[in-house]
Amino acid sequence: MGNWAIAIPFLPILSAVIIFVFAHSARKVAARISVIITLLTFILALIELTSYALGGFSRVEVIGTLWGSVWLDPLTLIMWSFVSGISLLVHMYSVRYMVEEANYTRFFALLDLMTATILFMVSAADLITLLVAWFLVGVVLYFLLGHDTNRPAAGRYAFWTQITYRAGDVPLWLAAFVLIRSYHSISLPVIFSRLQMYPHLDAFWGLSVPELVGFLLAFAAFARSAQFLLHGWLPYTMDGPTPVSALMHAGIVNAGGFLFNRFFPVFEHASIVLHFVFIVGLITAVVGSAMMLIQNDVKRSLGYSTMGQMGFMVMECGVGAFALAIFHLIAHGFFKASLFLGAGNIIGEARAHDGVPADPVYTSIVERRPAKPSRLPWLAAAALTIIVPVVVLSVSHLFVSSRLLHEQGVIILLFFGWVTGAQALFATHKMTHTNPWRLMGGILGSFVLVVIGYTLISHYFGHFLYPHDEEYQIYGAASINSVYFDVLVIILALLFVGAWALTFFADSSGWWDRADQGRWRGVYLALYALLSRELYVNDLYARMTQILLSGARRLNVMLRWC
Amino acid sequence: MDIIIWIIAGALLPWFPFSWIFNRLLVSAPGAWARALTVIVLPQLGLLLLLKSGAWYVLGQEMPTALRALALFTAILYAYRAAGTRDVQIWARFMATSGLSLTWLLVGLLPQHWDMQLFVLAWSIPAALMLIWAGVLTKKTGASYLGLSGGFARVLPRLSVLISLTALAATATPIFPNFFALLQAMESLPIIWMPLLLLVLLLWGWTVGRLLQDLLFGTYHGDAVHDLSVAGTWLGGLTLGVFALVGIFWGGIWIIN
Repeated sequence: MGNWAIAIPFLPILSAVIIFVFAHSARKVAARISVIITLLTFILALIELTSYALGGFSRVEVIGTLWGSVWLDPLTLIMWSFVSGISLLVHMYSVRYMVEEANYTRFFALLDLMTATILFMVSAADLITLLVAWFLVGVVLYFLLGHDTNRPAAGRYAFWTQITYRAGDVPLWLAAFVLIRSYHSISLPVIFSRLQMYPHLDAFWGLSVPELVGFLLAFAAFARSAQFLLHGWLPYTMDGPTPVSALMHAGIVNAGGFLFNRFFPVFEHASIVLHFVFIVGLITAVVGSAMMLIQNDVKRSLGYSTMGQMGFMVMECGVGAFALAIFHLIAHGFFKASLFLGAGNIIGEARAHDGVPADPVYTSIVERRPAKPSRLPWLAAAALTIIVPVVVLSVSHLFVSSRLLHEQGVIILLFFGWVTGAQALFATHKMTHTNPWRLMGGILGSFVLVVIGYTLISHYFGHFLYPHDEEYQIYGAASINSVYFDVLVIILALLFVGAWALTFFADSSGWWDRADQGRWRGVYLALYALLSRELYVNDLYARMTQILLSGARRLNVMLRWC
Repeated sequence: MDIIIWIIAGALLPWFPFSWIFNRLLVSAPGAWARALTVIVLPQLGLLLLLKSGAWYVLGQEMPTALRALALFTAILYAYRAAGTRDVQIWARFMATSGLSLTWLLVGLLPQHWDMQLFVLAWSIPAALMLIWAGVLTKKTGASYLGLSGGFARVLPRLSVLISLTALAATATPIFPNFFALLQAMESLPIIWMPLLLLVLLLWGWTVGRLLQDLLFGTYHGDAVHDLSVAGTWLGGLTLGVFALVGIFWGGIWIIN
């Protein structure tokens, strides 16, 4: 790797400066400059990553005299390639998508600034650079989301994002200063090496320094990754331009997962924080997924899907699967970017085909297909649903490394893999088809391929990111008492199997229709209202803001505006 | 004697309740340029008074906790009050008061005089610029109040950009110098006091968000107006650019200290 690697995050800044100063009225030229420089950034990031994979080594490059440094380690190089790749896609898409919008050139300059800021954020080797970049992401994002100044809604939701991000900046500042005071350096590699020597320094309230810092970092990550109670802004960022939604949902919102990985040595000594992180991630995953299901707006539905995915990513960190969280954020980034960029086509498709379920009589007489297609026998379906995912997941992990199956974190993830796989198979069983065995076979084949591919890739990816088996240490930190753990897994397994059985039999005996008409209707409607009002979280914040503003105005009048 | 100097200095380098006098003096200055000059000169006079009289060191040893509490209370109070206004001129005064009051956190420390003067200027300069933009806005629209017409981004794009950037500079956004000034203020505090200073940062984020929302978004309802001249925009932009450059270098100096 050459010293020119340090130029990579500066390239998008150069592009932004050229556009602002020389090309702010030349629309085509500005777009070309922006795309070409982003392409160059992506190519250079890939070259850096490849040269590291072929035998490079981690190192810190200093830009300024006292602050301003980048850490060229596997995490940085992977994130640089990912961020510049997503940014390139978004740039190329924006060239035509934004062509009729006002302030076209400013949009590209801001996209470039955003790319540069994220590149600095993921590579910062000292706390000041990290704070500067972390802070600026929120500022640049505000102007990107509020691109269309004619719409007050764009401004309102950009403001929601900005203030949530600021709420996340505050704990990061405090964490940085606790680290600076405790380990007498702003350099992250120096802090981490001293932390390994003195991991049990006391801080406050009976917490050690890593535990206090761990909690603060977790809160910073929660705000960026839209965890429950700090999630209200995420679904409403759809009011920004679609390319910005794609960039945000594919890249910026993943900052939480990055932060956990960057401060990996802190969490190694903060078990209690990891347990807390797991619970918050779990709640977010459940709430986000539930909200997603009741949305009737495709983009907001994608927004809540991101919230659920972020919950899952944070949960992975909570069980110690840090490398998997990075793999997850990359995989999620690409599929979410493609979903957002394709959302317009889906809306067009929905307008062309209304999606009303086919009428059985019409299907039978006109289309000459059986009116009531068959399903698998329920016992065979139940056995396939429950046993197949367990076997596939366990064998694939055993094949990669038998040691993995002794880690609680891996078992929890396997458990969720089993639930997800079984849910997919269960949903397949509920679908009617002329040849149910063929349908189930297809789904099973896909499932096996996905699991084996995911297991292999995530294993080698984890080894690349943490070459000295540091992952096992973090799995150890995330573990709990083995008796509690076993009991928890058994109870959860019974709960899921019981819920599937209940759903299956309620479905087949028409119980839902009777419940909808009876005394449960009130409960059902109340639950629907609660979810459709998004648990009243945003309403609560709006009310709090009104009260605070009214207090400020009264105070101003009382003090005669001086 | 030191206490009397402390009280007089409180009207120049504001802390509550003497910050009321500081704001009154700013309001009574004739015109935007005079206000800009006042917001630069008064705090420097207050600082010189403290440093030259020796009260700076004595007060720092005698009452560090009281000074800390006063500084943070003033900063929080004025940041909170800034959120309740939609007038650019009042906003600039309140933000200047909030930021300048943080100087009292450093009382008793032994930095270079010029370093303290830079610390105070880091808050004064964006406030002065904001007061000038408020004057320009008043000249063009009759008032510097944003609640009536709004949506200036389309009709006054150049002035809106300058106001937005200055507002960011006034609220300790990197890479402007007061971001590093805030880091320096944090460094002077025991950890247990830091959350209060971070509350100030949070409130600044809230106030700047509200100001930008009122300034930039929506449809303009007022009379036709002419934007700032190109030369004026370049001059304002250049001033902010130089201010940001100073921030980058000053960031290094803070770490040396």
